[in-house]
Amino acid sequence: MTMASFTKAAQQWATFCRSWYVIDATMQPPGKIASICSVHLQGKHKPIYHALSDCGDHVVVLNTKHIAFSGNKWEQKVYSSHTGYPGGFKQVTAAQLHLKDPTAIIKLAVYGMLPRNLLRRTMMQRLHIFPDDNIPEDIIKNITEELPQPRIVPKRLNEYTQEEKESFPRLWTMPEDYRIK
Amino acid sequence: MTSRGTPSRFLKSVLQNGVGRYVCQLKRLSLVFSKDSANSLGVREFIEDGVVDFARQNPGIVVYVAPEKCSIPKIVAEYLNGTVKEEPVNRKTSEEIRQLIKKLSDQSGLEVIRIRKPFHTDSPSIQGQWHPFVNRSPSLRVQRFVKEKSELESS
Amino acid sequence: MVFLSLSRWIRSRGPDRYWRVQEVLKHARHFRGRKNRCFRLAVRSVRRAFVFATKARKAKKRIMRTLWISRIAAATREHGMKYPALIHNLLKCQVALNRKVLSDLAITEPRTFKSLASLAKRRREEGFLVALGDKGEPEGIFSRIVHSQFPDATLNPESVAA
Repeated sequence: MTMASFTKAAQQWATFCRSWYVIDATMQPPGKIASICSVHLQGKHKPIYHALSDCGDHVVVLNTKHIAFSGNKWEQKVYSSHTGYPGGFKQVTAAQLHLKDPTAIIKLAVYGMLPRNLLRRTMMQRLHIFPDDNIPEDIIKNITEELPQPRIVPKRLNEYTQEEKESFPRLWTMPEDYRIK
Repeated sequence: MTSRGTPSRFLKSVLQNGVGRYVCQLKRLSLVFSKDSANSLGVREFIEDGVVDFARQNPGIVVYVAPEKCSIPKIVAEYLNGTVKEEPVNRKTSEEIRQLIKKLSDQSGLEVIRIRKPFHTDSPSIQGQWHPFVNRSPSLRVQRFVKEKSELESS
Repeated sequence: MVFLSLSRWIRSRGPDRYWRVQEVLKHARHFRGRKNRCFRLAVRSVRRAFVFATKARKAKKRIMRTLWISRIAAATREHGMKYPALIHNLLKCQVALNRKVLSDLAITEPRTFKSLASLAKRRREEGFLVALGDKGEPEGIFSRIVHSQFPDATLNPESVAA
């Protein structure tokens, strides 16, 4: 498209238009998802980026119920908060927080990765987190692109067909009378 | 000097483009002086030996010589864009006045303020400015997402 | 008796202090609140503003460079590469464009930037092939692997002169 086919106003609208991205958080590390989200919310994926020009995009995160922490983070990672009252220091593990609100971990991770300025809340408003696949129709209509997942989603054993299991190479075959301890 | 505290503008030519012949932007020049004041000595000297030559060399500029009763002689320059500049030439020599008039006739009449960048263009982009869909594949992987959604609806 | 200063007195345009105050307020007129009209407050904030302006003149260069780099990084990722790879391989191709120009190209001339990115990408692949010991440049085909024009001169200028 050349300049001639555009008016200057239309060019401006095209350059600064907001697009919507979707990312599926199934079996993905929350930190990786959050860093992708924070880049797109800030607009750092655009060559027109400027910290003050508010050029961030919308990001829709799906299936946050199924995020995957590595290591023993579910038990060991602690989310702390303080209510402001005496004795109001609360500490919950990641697992407890996730049971209470399946979107909270992603939300907190993204919030922590955004710059600490007045635009932070505005950017958070452009982040749409859903614990599962049920998204309102009006959000689906806006989406223009799906972001690639940072990790390959592993396949469970029960998702393989019997043929695939049979054809999987084996080092040795179990004897008939082998007793599994 | 702070950058926000001072007036500034982008570089521009008075004709709004860079093409065409040079047009002297000074249209009218009045020399206001006193016939007998010592302050106007230099102006009187300049009028005696320089002003006719200047007017002949610059046919585009109207030169007025205005003897008045004034203690401070001045040069009033009027430009094509309507700017009027007054320069006091109190006790200036003939040579200084010649240089001042040369400067005034070379100026464009635009305000002399800080210029933000030494370059400017009205059409910065030839190929069309970047927008979010320039480098995206036309298929827009949304197709996959739509498929997922339709599966979801069917299930 | 010659009274020379009389003419000066007639043209006196107010006390010195007034003009000194105006000199300061001139720089404070765009400030917010009483700072733009009360000298006592204005003089402090003008002083601060000048200090900031002095520091900013240096900081601006650094800030602009980081901005260009983040813009180029964003534009490069659109073409499936990372910023260091682009810069490094453009350098190897002897493309002498600085970061300001590259970021301007990415915004105003996206096609040009795309071709630069693909040049760097190709150069990168050829570099990998050479490193792996394969024949990087096929015989009789123009390659982008550019060698320095004066390989000895850059290292040892005396030897060339002698």
